[in-house]
Amino acid sequence: MLEELFTLPYAILEVPNMKIKKPSWVQQPSAMVMFSLILGSYFLVTGGIIYDVIVEPPSVGSTTDEHGHSRPVAFMPYRVNGQYIMEGLASSFLFSMGGVGFIVLDHIHSPLTPKLNRILITAVGFICILVSFFTTWIFMRMKLPGYLQS
Amino acid sequence: MLKINSKTGLSSLIIFTVLLLAWVAGFSSRLFAVIRFESIIHEFDPWFNYRATAYMVENGFYKFLNWFDERAWYPLGRIVGGTVYPGLMITSGSIHYILHLLNIDVHIRDICVFLAPIFSGLTAISTYLLTKELWSAGAGLFAACFIAIVPGYISRSVAGSYDNEGIAIFALQFTYYLWVKSVKTGSIFWSCMTALSYFYMVSAWGGYVFIINLIPLHVFVLLLMGRYSNRLFTSYTTFYILGLLFSMQIPFVGFQPIRTSEHMAASGVFALIIAVAILKYFQSVLSKAEFKSLFVVGASVSAAVVFLAVVVLTYAGYIAPWSGRFYSLWDTGYAKIHIPIIASVSEHQPTTWFSFFFDLHVLITTFPAGLWYCIKNINDERVFVVLYALSAVYFAGVMVRLMLTLTPVVCMLSGIAFSVLLDLFLREEDTPRSSESDGDDEQTVSSNRRLYDKAGRVPKMKHEQVKESDGIGANLRSIIIVVMLLLLMLFAVHCTWVTSNAYSSPSIVLASYGNDGSRQILDDFREAYYWLSQNTADDARVMSWWDYGYQIAGMANRTTLVDNNTWNNSHIALVGKAMSSNESAAYEIMTSLGVDYVLVIFGGVIGYSGDDINKFLWMVRIAEGEHPKDIREGDYFTEHGEFRVDAEGSPTLLNCLMYKLSYYRFGEVRLDYRNPGGFDRTRNAVIGNKDFTLTYLEEAYTTEHWLVRIYRVKKPHEFNRPRIPFSNRIVKTQSFISKKNSKRRKGTLKNKPVVMKGKKLATKQL
Repeated sequence: MLEELFTLPYAILEVPNMKIKKPSWVQQPSAMVMFSLILGSYFLVTGGIIYDVIVEPPSVGSTTDEHGHSRPVAFMPYRVNGQYIMEGLASSFLFSMGGVGFIVLDHIHSPLTPKLNRILITAVGFICILVSFFTTWIFMRMKLPGYLQS
Repeated sequence: MLKINSKTGLSSLIIFTVLLLAWVAGFSSRLFAVIRFESIIHEFDPWFNYRATAYMVENGFYKFLNWFDERAWYPLGRIVGGTVYPGLMITSGSIHYILHLLNIDVHIRDICVFLAPIFSGLTAISTYLLTKELWSAGAGLFAACFIAIVPGYISRSVAGSYDNEGIAIFALQFTYYLWVKSVKTGSIFWSCMTALSYFYMVSAWGGYVFIINLIPLHVFVLLLMGRYSNRLFTSYTTFYILGLLFSMQIPFVGFQPIRTSEHMAASGVFALIIAVAILKYFQSVLSKAEFKSLFVVGASVSAAVVFLAVVVLTYAGYIAPWSGRFYSLWDTGYAKIHIPIIASVSEHQPTTWFSFFFDLHVLITTFPAGLWYCIKNINDERVFVVLYALSAVYFAGVMVRLMLTLTPVVCMLSGIAFSVLLDLFLREEDTPRSSESDGDDEQTVSSNRRLYDKAGRVPKMKHEQVKESDGIGANLRSIIIVVMLLLLMLFAVHCTWVTSNAYSSPSIVLASYGNDGSRQILDDFREAYYWLSQNTADDARVMSWWDYGYQIAGMANRTTLVDNNTWNNSHIALVGKAMSSNESAAYEIMTSLGVDYVLVIFGGVIGYSGDDINKFLWMVRIAEGEHPKDIREGDYFTEHGEFRVDAEGSPTLLNCLMYKLSYYRFGEVRLDYRNPGGFDRTRNAVIGNKDFTLTYLEEAYTTEHWLVRIYRVKKPHEFNRPRIPFSNRIVKTQSFISKKNSKRRKGTLKNKPVVMKGKKLATKQL
């Protein structure tokens, strides 16, 4: 009964004689590839790329100083809900750098690395983390002058 | 044997202590607003929730379900019971009921104020449970500590912000915990519990759609990865059927779960997993060739049937297409063009980098690291957390408000990252550090997590090899640990600072600080609402912009035209049109709507930037959407495309109702000596239209700092008649009696000077 049911279409159709091979590049992506994709999109989203698309701010702002010259301004000060494109990308670069720093620290785990490399890796990881942390701190200070005061 | 017992006892004691401390810390850091101001409901939506809760406590649950509120959306009214997520009201109502059964007499307002901080502790516990299922107990403790104080969650759960999100994040995390548990065990019990918890979530917040899409996505991705198992089949089918039935019990949700496109993914995956299960069964009974042809035929037929069914049902109107709010999540430009009312809310704006850092601080950098660990050691439940992280990051980027759903997953993944890293650097030390459990949460977690650390993610081999190779020196290791703890400490400092400075303002009581640190409280909103409740008729209709609808209803107890439940766009557009037309056109709209009072918020005196003039362009846009012939946004800009209120502003703007109501008699006021009269501090400009009078309205009340101005709409017989003060009025008296009669025809002169003989004039003149 069941067999008749699923062989019914082949009574009308003739199965073409061909071979479809699964292309070799279609396979489950490796963990590393997945993670790089995710980190890339994370970089874009935390940089406010969606904000940039919707609001369309200039890449760098400009002000006019007292002499009448226009000077470029990298950060949109006091505006919590606004940004220029470059400032967003710079800070999200720092975020990702901090993240990479934490991941690099993981590699001292591997038993094959010699001792010197181990120290180097730790140093690189920590430099990444600290640089990103303190630069973001400075960015915050530019954006919100009273940050962590009062 | 004894040693193991004491070890488990110690670790559970530590878990208990850390969770308790996290609860206490989270609770107390949310109390800034109560300590600075008073135990008061904040902002806008909480006022409605409070009003509804008070109604339910007073009149009982069934009255509440059938409540038709004729004081909102005049003259339409609002069916409150059918248009509200009742979970919040039921939660606080039942707490109130239980406390009163125990004769603990607490006012319902205090329960409402403290509900969100209390639930933050429950959120911490459920985050701990979820992270423990995903990784280890140590990571769970980290995550619980993080979520207790992270600003992204505090922003929605400070004391007094009595809103759905406060309890919904707990329900979200708890549902996910139960779901992961049920996928792991495959037991019907856990999936029934998942469905129950999902029911609570549906009753609490519209964000339940996130769950009903994320769980099917998880199932779908697991199927794609070839990770189908009977456990998955049992838990998903049980959860889906029960969850579907439960969610339809909420009156506001009703038949949506089987009719709208937002829920279709769940049913599609339900059909898919059943198909996969059938195929798996046939695979076990049929031969390979038979199975192959069955698979091709079955798959193509079922795909065609499903596709046709969805298309036909959508076309026939049984399945509603995606609602506008969901389009705005995918197509980011949609709201900007089509739905100004969604785009006008500031928390629906797309997120900038600043918000990410402000709300998450150091967690934003540890988040990718935690994600990395999860992807590297993938299993069924870690697929879930990866998907959760990805979708939440994307949604948080689209809307500032959805930062809230990103925060828990960031805390979980950061907990994993910190736990693994500290593990790495602490593991090789020989002396057990479990003894030094000093009050510091992070220290306790890091030092003792080794004890109950379930292995599994770290292969045993590696661990031993590391031990042999004796990696980095003890000095470097201790430096690293100190730096990490420093980072965590700075995180705590940041969280407290942000909570105290940014998220603890009730926004109905404002505070300004002088240079010497003195504090001045501006209580204008409550002053105005109290005036309304005392000096107007009980059925008076108050027109204001929709932001203030809930507050007027909650505090002044007066009928409003529009409020924060923005369900009727055309009604709001009518109010927007009245505000942006000139006075006579506005008067027609106001009489047709039966308006008695108009309330505007004006911040020009104290420099309050959230006032109606700054929101005015949105009123114009919303009005233009419905009445494009009468209102055009371009008319309100200058020729250079600027929005300005000074003399160069466009004449349409300078004569519209909102402008006049905000600046009525403002030109007479000089705020300080440096600036001329009529200087607006918010927009730093001298207003352009100073001397004008109001024909159809009159000023009824203005608060101390001019923050709220209330005007009375005159009745048709009142205007164009000059009002004379009572003392100046000349009233004809009937005291004069004529002395004329039929015989004496001679009349007398009125006010004829009488000559008094024999008296000096001088005395009279004195």
